[in-house]
Amino acid sequence: MAAVRIALLTIRLVMRTKVALFFTFIFPLVFLFAYAGLIAHGKPEVVAYMFGPVVTLNIMGSGFFGLGIQSVMQRERGSLRRYRLAPLGPRTMLLSNLLANYLLQLPTLGLLLFCAVVIFHMPMKIGWATLLILVTVGTFAFAGFGLTIASVANTMQEAQVYNNIVWFALLFLSGVTFPLAMLPRSIQRLAMFFPSTYLVSTFQSIAAQSEPLLKHWPEMLVLVISGFFGLLFAMKLFRWEKEERISTRAKLWSGVFVLPFLVMGVWMNTRANPTATWSRSYNAMEQDSATGPSSQAAKLNLIEDFEGIQTSEELLRRWRLSADSDAVDYSVAKIQLLTPGAESTSHAMRLQGRLAPGPKNTQGYVSARCEVQVPANSKGLRGIEFETRGDSRVYQVAFQPPNVTQLGSLTPAAQVTAAVGPSALPCPLPAISFVPSDAWQNVRLPIAWLSNPRDRGLAAGPWILQLSVTGPPGEFTIDLDEIKFY
Amino acid sequence: MTQTTEKPVLVSVQNLHKHYGDLAAVRGLSFEIFQGEVFGLLGPNGAGKTTTIEIIEGLRQADSGSVRVCGLDPAQESMSLKERIGAQLQSTVLPDKMRVDEALRLFAGFYRRSASVETLLERFGLKEKRHTYFEKLSGGQKQRLALALALVNDPELVLLDEPTVGLDPQLRRDIYALIERFRSEGRTVLLTTHYIEEAERLCDRVAIMDRGQLVALGTPRELITRSGQGTRLELRLAKPVGLERLRVIDGVIDCHEAEGAYFLRAQPPAATIAALVHFLESDDNALLDLHIAQPSLEDVFVEMTGRRMEH
Repeated sequence: MAAVRIALLTIRLVMRTKVALFFTFIFPLVFLFAYAGLIAHGKPEVVAYMFGPVVTLNIMGSGFFGLGIQSVMQRERGSLRRYRLAPLGPRTMLLSNLLANYLLQLPTLGLLLFCAVVIFHMPMKIGWATLLILVTVGTFAFAGFGLTIASVANTMQEAQVYNNIVWFALLFLSGVTFPLAMLPRSIQRLAMFFPSTYLVSTFQSIAAQSEPLLKHWPEMLVLVISGFFGLLFAMKLFRWEKEERISTRAKLWSGVFVLPFLVMGVWMNTRANPTATWSRSYNAMEQDSATGPSSQAAKLNLIEDFEGIQTSEELLRRWRLSADSDAVDYSVAKIQLLTPGAESTSHAMRLQGRLAPGPKNTQGYVSARCEVQVPANSKGLRGIEFETRGDSRVYQVAFQPPNVTQLGSLTPAAQVTAAVGPSALPCPLPAISFVPSDAWQNVRLPIAWLSNPRDRGLAAGPWILQLSVTGPPGEFTIDLDEIKFY
Repeated sequence: MTQTTEKPVLVSVQNLHKHYGDLAAVRGLSFEIFQGEVFGLLGPNGAGKTTTIEIIEGLRQADSGSVRVCGLDPAQESMSLKERIGAQLQSTVLPDKMRVDEALRLFAGFYRRSASVETLLERFGLKEKRHTYFEKLSGGQKQRLALALALVNDPELVLLDEPTVGLDPQLRRDIYALIERFRSEGRTVLLTTHYIEEAERLCDRVAIMDRGQLVALGTPRELITRSGQGTRLELRLAKPVGLERLRVIDGVIDCHEAEGAYFLRAQPPAATIAALVHFLESDDNALLDLHIAQPSLEDVFVEMTGRRMEH
């Protein structure tokens, strides 16, 4: 009860102190605006991804500077002495500090959420209960950190030195500032020993991949244990007077505080391999941001980015291959899932094979086809674009109705004419030829009727996107990614 | 002064020792404080007064010796003891933005038994300042708040460490009145001070300390009487007289002459003055001026230590 009384009064005192108010409520917003504005460029999905680091940063700050430094300052200033005359023990003082720190964290979190949702339109991808648990566990863990430092530091200067060393290490090497997936492998290995990594990665896994919190129980457990260790040391080493000094031996004992992080770091490095999760979170965020609510139209316009496909077999369910002959020794081809894909995407599709003309032809022929639904609202769309790279053969891409049959090496327009006659279809059918290079490049297939397909009765039913290669005998390889209407 | 020796012992300090590194802060200190008395620890800075009072409060651990306060061991039964004592530190620091009434309410809430905050505000003259932040209080107001805080649990023993240090004479007198009221309420008070007049005015008994040791203990009057310093007489005569003739007057302990005046130490003073007047009449001399000064605890301290007390 005494702890609650002191905590509530401490909160009132913070409300009366301009500097404390600034660092408690305004400073975290500065970080939110910096991260959301400068790093996320206001993209809601990226803001959601960066929200975890912002909250973690705030929790770290409150632990190190709010709680840790304040504890040393109270001791140095002599205000603890008056409390010492009352029937209060170190436990009451520490619990009151912890409670005040936690209670001050909640309105700050509310403020951050409000700004993120209202100003940056951040989607709420983490449930309220999950968010509260994360903040509670994180605050407890970093309070333990701050209290441990306050316990071992004999002076304010000493506490500042310890704080800054740990603060900057955690700030730059644990995903708080730079996304974990972007860190070099060696830094990622190091990051696995840092508590802020556990908090940030859990936040981001939940936000970007909708993972359940329970999946991250080891990280949560380590944070809770470290919080208890910190509290234990703070109680053991609590000092009311600034004249009291702690021995080097006691300082070394407090090193036990980092034990949970060491165990967790070793486990992560050898068994857990969280880097794949970090990458998945990052890629999911990238994908979401490219197709997110801010560009809902872009999401609808996507034909295929191969990101949701896990195996080549899945690809073959969507893409159908055909060649100039099914006979043995004629042209052959296969489709594979390629990892990674164009630029920062995870996957792409590879069409690879050998052209071998039959006895009646001089050129071989292979095509890959997939069904495409024209967007319900295609107004403003002008065609289909995709990223591609490959050998220097001539490839064709065409957009045609499904009832057009494969007629060997005729041009697409000729195929269509032969199959259904010219009367009902736009003529010529959209088709282009291109020669890919070995670097990814963007290719566009203009479709003149696309901006108003209903008028021409073309929107209903799927169409076929066909990629084909026709040419002299020999090997060929072409990669495709990010196929979409533009 | 109040006779307290038949009352129960509330504080017992026996052969107390405390070192800070090589420095011996307290060396073999022993005394007892009886219920209802105002007991003073008098001595210069560095005499070991604060260390002693903080050991009694349970804030510091003694190296050796025995301390019992209200029947409890401050080192082992600190929490129970704190319920029964009220203390004022030499310097009380509270958070800058804490209001006067908030501080009193907060600290009153820590105890099983507490005094009325409103009564304390009234009694310590803080009613007008109840909503004032601690940082905005004057030195005297801060000290009054510190004294009020010492009474929030309605304690039977009040421990005051240098309660008037740094205050101007008027504020000092205000604090004296408050302490005298503690006595009238039947509370036991232990105070440390290096002000002679404070000890003489407030204390039923005084323990004079120097360099961690007890040099004298008793009521102020006992100490002065026991010291053998005698009353100081300063006289001017119509005709000069030889010092050897003054020295043989009954009761004169010592005498010297300076700037035409004669300075005598006399014990007992009344009989000595009567003998002096008789001597002057028989010598056809006349007393032009006479000043009588009682010896003080300062004189006692000088006699005991050979040094003056440095304020």
